[in-house]
Amino acid sequence: MRALVCGILAAGVALAQAEPDPVFTRANTAYAAGHFQQAIDGYQQLVQSHRWSASLFYNLGNAWYRAGDPGKALLNYERALALEPHHPEAAANLHLVRDQSRALELRPDRFEQYLAFANANQFAIAAAVAFWLTAFAAAAMVFAERRSAGKLAAVLLASAVCIFAAAASYAKETGPDGAGLAIVIKQNIQARVATADTSGSVLALPPGSEVKILSTRGDWSYVFLPNGARGWIPSGAAELVRL
Amino acid sequence: MSRLSFLSIVVISAVVLATTPAAFADEPSVTAVLDSSEAMVGQPVQLQIKVTGARSATMPEQIGVDGLDIRYSGESQSFEMQNFQTSYSVIYSYTIMPERAGTFRIPPQILRVAGKSLKTPELTLNVANGRGGGSARSGRAAPAVDPAKNAFLELVVAKTTAYVGEMIPAEIRLGFNTRTPAESLANGIDLTGQGFTTQKMRDPRQAIETVHGRSYQTFTFKTAISPVRAGKIDVGPIEAHPVVRVPQVNRNRPSIRDPFGLNDPFFDNFFNDPAFAPSMPRQINLKSEAATLEVKPLPPNAPPSFSGAVGNFSLTAEARPTTAKIGDPITVTVKISGRGNFDRVSAPVFENDSGWHKYPPSSQFVADDDVGISGTKTFETVLSANEAKDQLPTATFTYFDPLKEQYVTLRSDALHVRIEGGAPPPRATPAATATAARPAASPPTPAKQQDILYQLNELPARTEAFAPVWQRPAFWIAQVVPLLGLVGYFLWQWRKARRNNREARRLAALQHEAAQLQRDLQRPDASPREYLAGASRAVQLKAAAKTNIPAHAVDADVAANVFGVDEMTRNRLRELFARSDELRYSGGGNGSTAVSPEQRQEVLELLQQLR
Repeated sequence: MRALVCGILAAGVALAQAEPDPVFTRANTAYAAGHFQQAIDGYQQLVQSHRWSASLFYNLGNAWYRAGDPGKALLNYERALALEPHHPEAAANLHLVRDQSRALELRPDRFEQYLAFANANQFAIAAAVAFWLTAFAAAAMVFAERRSAGKLAAVLLASAVCIFAAAASYAKETGPDGAGLAIVIKQNIQARVATADTSGSVLALPPGSEVKILSTRGDWSYVFLPNGARGWIPSGAAELVRL
Repeated sequence: MSRLSFLSIVVISAVVLATTPAAFADEPSVTAVLDSSEAMVGQPVQLQIKVTGARSATMPEQIGVDGLDIRYSGESQSFEMQNFQTSYSVIYSYTIMPERAGTFRIPPQILRVAGKSLKTPELTLNVANGRGGGSARSGRAAPAVDPAKNAFLELVVAKTTAYVGEMIPAEIRLGFNTRTPAESLANGIDLTGQGFTTQKMRDPRQAIETVHGRSYQTFTFKTAISPVRAGKIDVGPIEAHPVVRVPQVNRNRPSIRDPFGLNDPFFDNFFNDPAFAPSMPRQINLKSEAATLEVKPLPPNAPPSFSGAVGNFSLTAEARPTTAKIGDPITVTVKISGRGNFDRVSAPVFENDSGWHKYPPSSQFVADDDVGISGTKTFETVLSANEAKDQLPTATFTYFDPLKEQYVTLRSDALHVRIEGGAPPPRATPAATATAARPAASPPTPAKQQDILYQLNELPARTEAFAPVWQRPAFWIAQVVPLLGLVGYFLWQWRKARRNNREARRLAALQHEAAQLQRDLQRPDASPREYLAGASRAVQLKAAAKTNIPAHAVDADVAANVFGVDEMTRNRLRELFARSDELRYSGGGNGSTAVSPEQRQEVLELLQQLR
């Protein structure tokens, strides 16, 4: 038994002190030397091998920024924040580059503003916990010889928390930070009223602007725009934040 | 005061409070509009000055423009309610009669409204010389109406030449001789064609006009045409199929008009009023003449901020609040007023907006006319400063002026604000904190330098996923734990209930048997053997009912311990069990044949003590 505990501890320490990934290190070295495209290639290699982390996307965003592509820089900062909502460096660089490129942000509605204190995953976990509390409290009430008002209140409260958390999780998932969030990565993109380059313009979208993809038809995507309107943009003009 | 009357007062007060002050809650405003910016000499044009938010205004006594005869022609009032917001407005109308050709500017007029001085915008009127100079129809005052016909349909397009995107007012006039009045306009009027778009037509304006000495009931539809391509564009012809009431005249038999059958025109003239004439509905086909527009393309080299607006506009801007801290929002309201294609009037561009964070603007358009080509479009943009500032960025708006035939860029006046630099912008905080806390791979960034932060050197061993937590298997596997707990809780409660049920049934059986024995022990005819056996069994049952000990395992000492009796009672129990065993195992009927009443009473008392 003692040997097993020692083995587990040793494995944990070894994992914690693992050698840094050579590809990541090489990419960082290239970045420091000013070879930004080389650094991008290295980071992209890790992205394609699904070694996703907030730090990786943050570094990749920095490399794209240095390479002169603020749209892709903002896309990767958003990805870093999607994985780790409180990543301080990614949040700082996101605001800075967004200001510089004059990218537009989606505005959350009033309900989403109230829910800013947590993300969809946290609300989902809260909903699951509240669900099981409701189930246990209801079971205890069913088997109890006397059903007190306190037990009934506990069931009602837990079920209310469960419903609220589930609704909040759904709202977050379908809101501006949800699954449909995409970033404009190309220059001179205009959201249009129809799926034609000659149709009227709804809004000019600088690179890095946020849009929410509602549907896709052929080479065009129907998107929700930062000014609250809707329009069509070429599908290749924006990339989803979630991979 | 009764409850009902109190509620009535509350409701009436709420309605009064909700409506009356709202009509005057907003600041009064004034707009002025011409019903057409193009006219010919002798062709009247209407000027309307609309005052909103007040019941009256002190109007200028005379509007003097050399070459234009401007006369006051009346006022009207309107009250509107939209989304529970009410507005009251007064419209002062003037008739302008051009006396000569040329471009005339009607200067801004100063109005006194509710103690304040308001100014109307400057208006421009182009007057052409003679017929056919500007309009696509041959004169407005004398429409091309065939006197022999009882109805006419005409299309009036204000200009014959225009630029792409320019809004050209157009009128469609439908006239019916009052002897054959219109019963219905069937499907109405539709102006469609290739190469232009039209504004939505409102309900027609009805009037009685005299044309060539005949009285006509006229319906005037107003719209505006906007060419979308350069070249020659045909507008119309328009077709309509209205239903009119045609008087019936039967000469073959006497009618109420001619009761004597004299065919005397006197009777027709006497009963000339169509209101009294018998009539029948008949659908007629009308077709207007077509109009032709020569459309010119917009000049090349448009400024980058040009978004397609064509017309004549003015721009005003204001900001609130004018004192704020870094990062606080300041709302900049830009109003673009005038006449033109407002659907292409986009948000103003801010020049020199370095150091400002700009949010997408909201816009609202309020039309001054029925067609929607004259009015004010208001943009509200929220700006927040990233650093100390004393002036807002300049709002600019570019449009093409078809009269000047050039692009015009409007700029807002300097908007002075005071941005205090006390609080740093919120988003700068994590950057500064992170810079201090972590070693930098790239050179450290000075506090004021607008540059991104350093690279991170550590890559976590654990990879992360974008999928929401409920799409991950681990989330659902984790739900198995509470599910098992819940199932275990159910099983435990079920077993507990079942066990309680078995124990209850055992107790019930014991109590039932004990009660039966208690009744038997009252009977006097039992033999001593049966009686004492029953008494000892009753003691066993009582002890078993109180504990989990089986009844057959209970003896005198066990029973005494179970009930915690004194020594004397214990001895009596021992004697009871001993005598019962003696009679049961001795094989004979020792003793008397019946139990004496004293003995029975003694046993019953002993059993009573066992509780």
